[in-house]
Amino acid sequence: MSLLREAERCIANQYAHGFNAFITPLSRAGPWLDRVKEADGRKEEGKPKSAVDGRLISIKDNICTRDLPTTCASGILDKFTSPFNATVVDQLEAAGAIVAGKTNLDEFGMGSNSTNSHFGPVKNPRQDSSGEDLSAGGSSGGSAASVAADQCHASLGTDTGGSVRLPAAYTGTVGFKPSYGLISRWGVVAYANSLDTVGIMGKTTASVRDIFDILNQHDHRDPTSLSISSRSRIQASLQTPQLRSRLTSAPLRIGVPIEYNVSELTPSVRRAWALSLAHLKKQGHTVHSVYLPDTKHALSTYYVLGPAEASSNLAKYDGVRYGTRAEGPDGDGKPDGYLFSNTRGQGFGQEVKRRIVLGTFTLSADAIDNYFIQAQRVRRLVQQDFDAVFTAKHPLAAQGADKIAKENDVDVIICPTAPSSPPRLSDLMSISTKKSPLDAYVTDVFTVPASLAGLPAISVPVTVSGQQDAELAGIQVIGQYGDDQLVMKVGEMLEGRNLD
Amino acid sequence: MDRQRAPFSSAPNRYLQPPTSADRVPLRKQLKQEAKALRSHKKQRKETEEASRQEWELTVGVEIHAQLNTEAKLFSRAPTSTSDTPNSNVALFDLAFPGSQPEFQIATLLPALRAAIALNCEIQPVSRFDRKHYFYQDQPAGYQITQYYEPFARDGYVDLFDYDGIAPEDGERVRIDIKQLQLEQDTAKSQEYPPSTQLLDFNRVSHPLIEIITMPQIHTPATAAACVRKLQAIVQSCGAVTTGMEMGGLRADVNVSVRRRGQAAGQHQYDGITGLGQRTEIKNLSSFKAVEDAIIAEKNRQIGVLESGGVIEGETRGWTIGSTETRRLRGKEGSVDYRYMPDPDIPPLIIGEDLLSSLRESLPTAPDTLLTLLVGSEFNLPIEDAKPLIELDDGARLEYYHDVVDILRSLQVDQDDKTRASLARVASNWVLHELGGLLAKADQTWDAETVPSRSLAHLIDHLQRKLITGPTAKQVLATIFDGDRRPVPQLLEEENLLLRPLSREEYLALAESVIALNPQMVEQIRSKNQLGKLGWFVGQMMRTGEKGRVEAPKAEEILRELILG
Repeated sequence: MSLLREAERCIANQYAHGFNAFITPLSRAGPWLDRVKEADGRKEEGKPKSAVDGRLISIKDNICTRDLPTTCASGILDKFTSPFNATVVDQLEAAGAIVAGKTNLDEFGMGSNSTNSHFGPVKNPRQDSSGEDLSAGGSSGGSAASVAADQCHASLGTDTGGSVRLPAAYTGTVGFKPSYGLISRWGVVAYANSLDTVGIMGKTTASVRDIFDILNQHDHRDPTSLSISSRSRIQASLQTPQLRSRLTSAPLRIGVPIEYNVSELTPSVRRAWALSLAHLKKQGHTVHSVYLPDTKHALSTYYVLGPAEASSNLAKYDGVRYGTRAEGPDGDGKPDGYLFSNTRGQGFGQEVKRRIVLGTFTLSADAIDNYFIQAQRVRRLVQQDFDAVFTAKHPLAAQGADKIAKENDVDVIICPTAPSSPPRLSDLMSISTKKSPLDAYVTDVFTVPASLAGLPAISVPVTVSGQQDAELAGIQVIGQYGDDQLVMKVGEMLEGRNLD
Repeated sequence: MDRQRAPFSSAPNRYLQPPTSADRVPLRKQLKQEAKALRSHKKQRKETEEASRQEWELTVGVEIHAQLNTEAKLFSRAPTSTSDTPNSNVALFDLAFPGSQPEFQIATLLPALRAAIALNCEIQPVSRFDRKHYFYQDQPAGYQITQYYEPFARDGYVDLFDYDGIAPEDGERVRIDIKQLQLEQDTAKSQEYPPSTQLLDFNRVSHPLIEIITMPQIHTPATAAACVRKLQAIVQSCGAVTTGMEMGGLRADVNVSVRRRGQAAGQHQYDGITGLGQRTEIKNLSSFKAVEDAIIAEKNRQIGVLESGGVIEGETRGWTIGSTETRRLRGKEGSVDYRYMPDPDIPPLIIGEDLLSSLRESLPTAPDTLLTLLVGSEFNLPIEDAKPLIELDDGARLEYYHDVVDILRSLQVDQDDKTRASLARVASNWVLHELGGLLAKADQTWDAETVPSRSLAHLIDHLQRKLITGPTAKQVLATIFDGDRRPVPQLLEEENLLLRPLSREEYLALAESVIALNPQMVEQIRSKNQLGKLGWFVGQMMRTGEKGRVEAPKAEEILRELILG
């Protein structure tokens, strides 16, 4: 199939079955058509620019694009267009890819179901057995839905505490969060800088890897982008004989964190987990219990640090220099009043306001020691937990602190992505069945630890035969910092498997 | 608008009614009365100040914000020039655009480190940036990036001497410890046009600042002002800062507390200094006088409150130039919780010893060292000349002075030691007063090329050798100042200005002619011994004689001879 046919089919899907995946879809006609035709020409000559030359890649609407608006699904930016492209957008366009529109999300990335959007909730292209609409997961729910519904070839999302992995698990797609610092965040609207990463979503791990290889570059504009010398250190550390032999001559040692067998885990997800491990065992790999004692504090740590950084990052939205201002005079009419109390009051949604207030509290003089500072300490412990179980030592850890190999060291950790299958949208939206925000927070319990530690993690779909029909679940693979390629390889071994 | 229109409507009345005679006080008398009133007021104020000082101890700490001398902003490559068209020097990050990130400008460190070294600080090998949150339209990100938890320099000091203008009770020298120096961003400039217009210029946003925080160790208002003045002089002389308070490049906050002497120690402690009274902070003082006046006013207010049984509130206060009282800006309950948070995007600053040692070597001499040098045996200048030489024109005047002295000394190698020793003092007089006077008169700023140092040195050399007269030297200086670029010897030659000494006969003839015209004055000198009037005759001789040839001492000698015999 020609790239043009493929692109036209994606566009047709965008307009025919929306699922509210896009805030700004790609226009049917435009200069992009010529770019696809040119790519077709290169393809025929056998000289494509890259694996994504001429392909449509949708972009989460908190990643800046010069040609399309960047709303972050917020009322305060509902008409905002950024004057510049994010580095990742420039990289993809340079590789020949076409921006396939801007996808819907939870406002500023805050949510787990993509329902907290100024532009309405995203629908999961899958429905449950009784035909009910399901959550697409969040916050990159629009990206996940656009991939699942064939509205694009692949998508860029962002992952702060699981925001590409959870939607991937809910929609049956692949969602990859690379090690922190590998992909540039320049032009990615910050929610919680120390946790934010660009994530990649696709139908297959192979398509995700193609895009990762394009984006995995140092960017001097992002001060948290890993330097070229640190990247060489990582590569060098992966070249030791022991690490190089993994998956080639030596079987993998797979870790199962026993703390992750939580009561919230539904039977079908638990079954998918067990069958995935059994499948890998059959391939000759070994499975080992590992202890991550501090991960039980990871969720609360995340919900202290994330909102704290968010309350700071979102202080800039005042409608003074850009963005949407509230109608009428602001500042309570007083000359020395703030110019933007109404603007912020009206522009932000409920969940964003909740997290701003939470973060403002945890940073306040009386609370900071007990909350923010304490959470930073726990974050360090979570990272140490992971370092203690991986065979590979953290490649950027202080030199000389050589890791003593232990018997139970593992190459990767495998666990579910989410504790349950996607909730019904109607349950999330209606007042009578609406649950406390904490219920939504719990769905992040398996994804947040890797975010706190900055580790690479992928969610891949597996199917298990259920009581009535086949059930889909997301299985997560977590690796040591910098071990991104191994994580994707292991994901590929499970991806799309029908297990029973 | 109203303010502009008012004079026109009231003007006619004022001019049509002449002042009534009852109001009329001779101007001279009026001035005398006013001066007397002012003197007695000052004396009274001095006495009350002294009385309150005897009873109450004042404690002051100072915080100074100074714009660093850098080309680029703290976290973007946008230029720091604030005089350009409003909102023309801004990068995406300066305006807090979504998705933009900070890019620390390493060059900023150089002036900051120079200031820290000049203030005897311990430079921290690792320091970090924090976000200080508060909402205001002049702060685009909703936070200021500063160094709250881990500043780049700590534990310095500044020595204040009597010649720095410290209070007499502080003696010859006080040392004020400096708690820390931190790097931070400046805010935007905002202009209010009530009721509903605010104009914002973001050119100043993120201009790199250093904040200098002293320990609360100052006990008199004069010393506090001297401290701010001295800190400004030091950061300017090391090249860290170019615009001072007068240009708005430097602003001071002071914290003030009082406690009754000889009573139980106060409850409060600040920066590890215990036993202090509750303090208040006065923000945004923009002149040295404002620092002194605001502290006096705030001290007196606090004493007044305490003496009438009240309690001092920990609050932030403001000061308007020319007022007599500080005013409350916000109280404790309204105080801002800045929610300091480490900035997650900015890596720590790591400063190596190699950088520090090269900066230490290239740092210009400290003002105090310069002063010691100038008043010492090599230059022998009075302190009141040495200080302006050091302080004027960011050190350019001193550099020029050194050039003049060097050239002059080489021109006068043939002279005896005593003459050569006096050259430094003569040169300082010309550089400061003669040249300074011309600059002031022409309302021009300093430029070393207006009168090249070589020209001035040659001029002084000629004068010292008595080849020209003093008035001629001054006149030639003005000619050069106005742009005459001929070498001084040539100029003197061509303009026929070299002194051709008059003979004794010529002096006698000149003297006799002026004496003949004023016989009664001669009589007064003779009978009443009014020798002062001799000077008048000297002037007459110089005026009537050939220009530039009459030498005053010789003229007086002849006059004495003729009149007094």
